[in-house]
Amino acid sequence: MDFSPIKKAIVSFEEEKIKKLIEEFIEKGIRPQEILEHGLIPGMKEVGRLFEIKEYYVPEVLLAAETFYAGFNMIKPLLIENKSGRKGRIVIGVVQGDIHDIGKNIVKVMLEASGYDVIDLGKDVPNERFIEVVDQEKPDILALSSLMTTTMVHMEIIIKLLNKKRLRKTVKVIVGGAPITQEYADKIGADGYAEDAAGATRLVDRLLQGNE
Amino acid sequence: MNNSVFQSQRINDVIGRRKKFAVFPLVCADHCARIFNKEFKDVANDFVMLAETLKYGYSLYKYDMVLVFSDPYVEAEAMGCSLEYAPYPRLKHSVKYSPDKLIKISQSCVNPEIMNRITTSPNHDRREVIINAARLLKESLDVPVFVSIKGPFTLACFITGIEDFLKLLLHDESQAKSVIERTLNFQRDYLKKLLQIPVHIFIGDPLASSSVISPLLFEKYAFEPLRILVREIKENGMNAGIHICGYTKPIIDILDRLNADILSIEDITLKTKTLKMGGVSTSTLLHGDREQIRNEIESALKEDFLILSTSCDVSVNTPSENIKTMIDIARSYEV
Repeated sequence: MDFSPIKKAIVSFEEEKIKKLIEEFIEKGIRPQEILEHGLIPGMKEVGRLFEIKEYYVPEVLLAAETFYAGFNMIKPLLIENKSGRKGRIVIGVVQGDIHDIGKNIVKVMLEASGYDVIDLGKDVPNERFIEVVDQEKPDILALSSLMTTTMVHMEIIIKLLNKKRLRKTVKVIVGGAPITQEYADKIGADGYAEDAAGATRLVDRLLQGNE
Repeated sequence: MNNSVFQSQRINDVIGRRKKFAVFPLVCADHCARIFNKEFKDVANDFVMLAETLKYGYSLYKYDMVLVFSDPYVEAEAMGCSLEYAPYPRLKHSVKYSPDKLIKISQSCVNPEIMNRITTSPNHDRREVIINAARLLKESLDVPVFVSIKGPFTLACFITGIEDFLKLLLHDESQAKSVIERTLNFQRDYLKKLLQIPVHIFIGDPLASSSVISPLLFEKYAFEPLRILVREIKENGMNAGIHICGYTKPIIDILDRLNADILSIEDITLKTKTLKMGGVSTSTLLHGDREQIRNEIESALKEDFLILSTSCDVSVNTPSENIKTMIDIARSYEV
């Protein structure tokens, strides 16, 4: 089966086309897992590659992400019936006081496109909310984003709260955002730092390798 | 020549390449309000308090210029966006958003009702706060006073919603350009009032950086409005600075073509004809120690001419000691 038209539709932001293609694939009896693995994920991976080599920028990634979701949302209900195929569970959000979420949204789509279940808490998320969700959902990874030097301090507070609630050992914490550095991640006791969305996906793959 | 007169000339001497460097960490009203024990919301809404707060910062650090910068949303608010203070201002929603309904982007920009809300909104207009504070500072300080205004591209992002506007750039060129035309005209009107004082101008256009849009889109949407503003500033005999943080390597030649007097960028090793401003990372100033600050200054001063500064606004919580350290170390390199 040739899945390249799906990949191509994502790379060229053709939302209507991808909907039509997914419909055709489902009608032909192709399993949703295969559509995801051979069409949608490679499409978004190619977008990630183009972003990394600076051929695509944020507007292009946003449009590609819209196209990806147009297709992904059609097969998602079918995928939920068979969760075993997913690679891990991630909770993601922008920390308290910070409303800059473009970077977080791009990381989210890249992680979903790489086969992870992502619970998106949105932006300006109170510290306690992260703790609550980690406790309830038992994710493999907690991904924290911040774009401001005034709000990045919440990352450290969240890690301390996880320790206090004895949840720290249950989840790996990764951090990212413009003012964040590897040095800062080490200083606050995070498990990892990534500079961009492609790096975040590789980081999660690496951190969860032992779990697979 | 006494020290204050000497200090007042440093920026101009560096721009004129008669002096190697001057110093101005990008200290803005939020940091000054914290060290002056003032509520930021009060400072941002009262021109006397804003001027006093910035003057306090200047008296403490003694840098070579003063920047009148309250927050990035002065013009966006005046164009109809809502802000909330938490405690620093942030965009609550952009012009096109109504509380219960998100209007689709392609409709929002062609909808005359939405476009009319821009500039005719009854929202609070703080441009007068900035203008009057700048006037007070100009009268009372003997160092150059710069006022920071938003680049038309970034302002267009703010008023329509950043993600939606970025998508519009690829969806519908004419609609995107019509929003930018609005923001450009708005900024020309603001600029005219500032140039009557007169003050020097910094145009901040961070969302036009190559961390966000491609050089192609920069050239198509951001370049010409910036060029027009720079030309008008210079025609009035004042200095024009451009601040674009983030990744700027792919657009550095285009930025040079703006013919500004100062380019405030993160990577000052990039080759430019325009005088550069930067050299010390905001993160180093926030978290670093004396040696780290010294190392970055030493490295920055390898440039022939420079306004030694931070790569972006000094974070509100930056320790005062670190800012003083930066100035002290820089002064020790002066001949």
